Amino acid sequence: MSGADLLAILPLLVLGGAAVVLMLAVALRRSLQLTLLLTLLALAAALACLAPAVGVAPRRVTGLLFVNGFGLLYVGLLISTSLAGALLAYGYAGKRGGQPEEAYILLLLATLGGSVLALSDHFASFFLGLELLSVSLYGLISYSRWRPPSLEAGAKYLVLAAVSSAFLLFGMALVYAELGTMSFAEIVPLAGQAGTIGILLPGLLLIVVGIAFKLAVVPFHMWTPDVYEGAPAPVTAFIATVSKGAVFALLLRLFGQIDLARYPALVFAFALIAVASMLGGNLLALLQYNVKRLLAYSSISHLGYVLVAFLAGGALGIPAATFYLVAYFATILVAFGAVGSLSDPARLRDADSLADYRGLFWRQPWLTVAFAASLLSLAGIPLTAGFFGKLYVSLAGISSPLWWLVVVLVVSSTIGLYYYLRVASIMFRRPTGRELTPAISWADGVVLAGLTGAIFFLGVYPSPLITLIQAALGLG
Amino acid sequence: MISLLWLTVALPLASFIVLALAGARLPRTAIAWLGAGAVGLSFLVALAVAAGFPASGTAYVQTFWTWLAAGGLNANINLYLDSLSLVMLLIVTGVGFLIHVYSTSYMADDPGYEGDYARFFAYMNLFVASMVLLVLADNLLTLLLGWEGVGLCSYLLIGFWYKDPGNGRAARKAFVVTRVGDTALLLGIFLLFAVFGTLQIQELSLRAPREWAVGSPLAVAAAALLLGGAVGKSAQLPLQTWLPDAMAGPTPVSALIHAATMVTAGVYLIARTHVLFELAPPVQFAVAVIGALTLLLAASSALAQTDIKRALAYSTISQIGYMFLALGVGAYSAAIFHLMTHAFFKALLFMAAGSVILALHHEQNLAQMGGLRRALPLTFWTFLAGTASLAALPLITAGFYSKDLILAATLTSDKGGAWFWAAGLVGTFLTAVYAFRLLFLVFYGPRRTEPLPERGPALGLPLVVLALLAIGGGFIPVPQYLGNVAPPLLAGAGLGTEAVPTLTAALASLAGVVLTYYLYLSAPAQLARLRQTSWAAFLARWWQAGWGFDALYFFSFVIPYSLLADLNRSDIIGRFYRGLGWIALRLNRLLSASENGRLRWYALGITLGAAILLAIGVWQ
Repeated sequence: MSGADLLAILPLLVLGGAAVVLMLAVALRRSLQLTLLLTLLALAAALACLAPAVGVAPRRVTGLLFVNGFGLLYVGLLISTSLAGALLAYGYAGKRGGQPEEAYILLLLATLGGSVLALSDHFASFFLGLELLSVSLYGLISYSRWRPPSLEAGAKYLVLAAVSSAFLLFGMALVYAELGTMSFAEIVPLAGQAGTIGILLPGLLLIVVGIAFKLAVVPFHMWTPDVYEGAPAPVTAFIATVSKGAVFALLLRLFGQIDLARYPALVFAFALIAVASMLGGNLLALLQYNVKRLLAYSSISHLGYVLVAFLAGGALGIPAATFYLVAYFATILVAFGAVGSLSDPARLRDADSLADYRGLFWRQPWLTVAFAASLLSLAGIPLTAGFFGKLYVSLAGISSPLWWLVVVLVVSSTIGLYYYLRVASIMFRRPTGRELTPAISWADGVVLAGLTGAIFFLGVYPSPLITLIQAALGLG
Repeated sequence: MISLLWLTVALPLASFIVLALAGARLPRTAIAWLGAGAVGLSFLVALAVAAGFPASGTAYVQTFWTWLAAGGLNANINLYLDSLSLVMLLIVTGVGFLIHVYSTSYMADDPGYEGDYARFFAYMNLFVASMVLLVLADNLLTLLLGWEGVGLCSYLLIGFWYKDPGNGRAARKAFVVTRVGDTALLLGIFLLFAVFGTLQIQELSLRAPREWAVGSPLAVAAAALLLGGAVGKSAQLPLQTWLPDAMAGPTPVSALIHAATMVTAGVYLIARTHVLFELAPPVQFAVAVIGALTLLLAASSALAQTDIKRALAYSTISQIGYMFLALGVGAYSAAIFHLMTHAFFKALLFMAAGSVILALHHEQNLAQMGGLRRALPLTFWTFLAGTASLAALPLITAGFYSKDLILAATLTSDKGGAWFWAAGLVGTFLTAVYAFRLLFLVFYGPRRTEPLPERGPALGLPLVVLALLAIGGGFIPVPQYLGNVAPPLLAGAGLGTEAVPTLTAALASLAGVVLTYYLYLSAPAQLARLRQTSWAAFLARWWQAGWGFDALYFFSFVIPYSLLADLNRSDIIGRFYRGLGWIALRLNRLLSASENGRLRWYALGITLGAAILLAIGVWQ
């Protein structure tokens, strides 16, 4: 390994090292403040290390990782999201006591796993990164072990993720059996040659199963509402963002490079998944009275939208999908941040019942503004990031052969409007007077204020982010 | 100094913003100073601009910023100042300032919520800003912005006393009826843009004669659509019905918006785009016909009104009819001249009427008035000046000079004709009759209601200034001044050279005064006997209803529309969408059944999904 190689994967090294340091620190001295400080420092350092990594990109490291601008963009996105997640977790755990310090070790490891996925160029690194992410998530989901729903969600996720991993592994084996290689760099050209379909196609389809499970798209979505509901709110935010973003980056790395036109079955499968997710997610959310489950269903449909941009591909589709993910991350972090900061520490459940939100505006005006902004952004109302993301995705979709997917997108967004606005309107009703008014920690406040600002900023002035995304893609 | 032009818009706009945001917290004196002061400063700036305006008459253009640039359309917010817009600017800010000063007193004891006083001045200032933008616009899009702005303020101010549902109805009627015209104007703008790719008025005026032959269908269509907009805003036939009802607003509003400025915007629009009308002779002929018919219809209607403000409203419609007549025969500068003198004497009449209304505890019925000459001396003398000017009493009033110019033009212009002149002459006679009828009913005869004393100088001073202008304003050389914007009036037109027609018009006016004096003061028994006859009673009813246009429109538009709306009560198209919603809810039930919380079921889901994907692979 040369010095440049090390420089290229420096962000990963920092994350990995920080996890070890943090473990030692927790063993020596248990302090939430110190843990948070170390975590934030580690994440900030990893973020700063992206600059030298960009300097040596594009670079293939050890045959497992391919560090390029696109991958580093996603690594940066994942680390920034973890940063917000760490702050939300502080606000959440600080009120509850217990022993939340180890959660930060898991958080760093999960971020590391996600970053490996985003840079991965080989089935081995793909699987390693995925399992590192998943195993950390098992721990995080069931971290509130005194809450039965949390344990149940962790167990469900564990079993189902194992099932999907089995499909994924089998798919990898089939691809290897056909092509004799596990490196993306070699698979992509081979898959493009004629006469190699054989058992390659079933292999690729089984890999799609594994990816689709992580993205929680129909029909691999059923775990989502239960896990979203059971996991502590900050962890839910983490699952909704880091886990999905990392897997989506991998999807772009593998399937985004293969010439999909040669595999109509793959295109059809993705299109079917996209349509089913857009419609299914929104329809399931329609009468949902549990806010966390509602957001889970909503996330299913949003990943469906992203798949529309993915299928459009090319110079318009990939930036559109990436922009949409960034906008969605900011938005969903605000939503779960609001849910988490509203949750009463004395109760076993998070504040997930719609009744908890009745008249919220009159008790917590700023929190309501943030939550309402995120709901409007999810619904795609103009001036919010969600609107511009949807516009971008639609533009990409319309200019592709699969333009009819945009029709489904429009119809399903219209359905979605119903339940987003229903929640938003309940917050402005007259309060009944029995609701609790928890104090909001500074960490939550910082994240909510900053990201709500980002929602509006991206909705009004999206061009800096678009320029950044296009520059990162241009790097190779 | 001319570079200060932007302040004429910015000052009232700024005052509007302050009053709208903080008005409710300001004391009344501050509101009055702010509201009237902003318009006063705007007038001072307009005077300074006029002083700096080059004697050669070269137009001055001030560019602010590009409003929108899309495709070939480049809409800049520009101000364009030539002698025409300068005259309009001075009228709007000058008369507007006097009316604002008057309002500070008129609205002082207005019953209503705290904050209504600020709301009133906020609307009024927004109106002045929009009106100034309208007259200074150098492209049709900016003009439309001002045009819609004044329409909005008109709506807001007619319904100012919103607690009476009738006022809201009147405001809605004004808005809806003018909207018919606005739609035509908008279509005209679209047409011009589609053909020429620009909305700059000067560029259009240069290119239209080059690219369109006289009488070409497109030119006729464009001019007709612009005429539609002008007819709506200026309350001319067939869209005149909203103006009498608009009197529901406070009297200063009637003076400013529904007499002096906004309703003359249609006249300004035609004068501004007169090149297009010259290219469309049939439309220009229609302008003259509309003017002639409207002036007769409204003048006769004014005769029969029992409400002082409605009488003045019909009078306004009638006087704008004169302006349209002038535009139709190509005497644009005569039209603008009459616009100015009309602004003076009609604003004066409304404000004097307002003084009467205040003195009689908000009584507007002419039958309850009478004998106020001694009780309200200032009001009487100023009202007399306004009446004389409206009736165009020869030589001593401004109205005489401007109206004479119009009548002369109907004879000398190649677009005119004896019929137009005859209509104008009959109108002059009718005008004198209804004008002095008002004067005699209000100030002579037995006193029917005991009046309050007149108010202070804020109310009186604007009356005096306007009375002087209504008498002496005829000597302001507006037609000569407009020489480089509008085609000059034909040589020989004007006082003295056409001795016989001028003399005839003067006699018609005097005859009207004498007849009215005879009927109302000298021999009221004759009038009473006349009223008994069935044909007179019929005419009175018919004219009081403004020739029955409201009923006509009610039966031909309102009722069919209500019937249609009634038929569609259950919203046929909405059913389709409700059906979609119903389907969505069904599907929600169906899908929700799959979320049962059972792990084995979820694992089965994943397996089934994988099976489906593999099946797709096999099938392909």
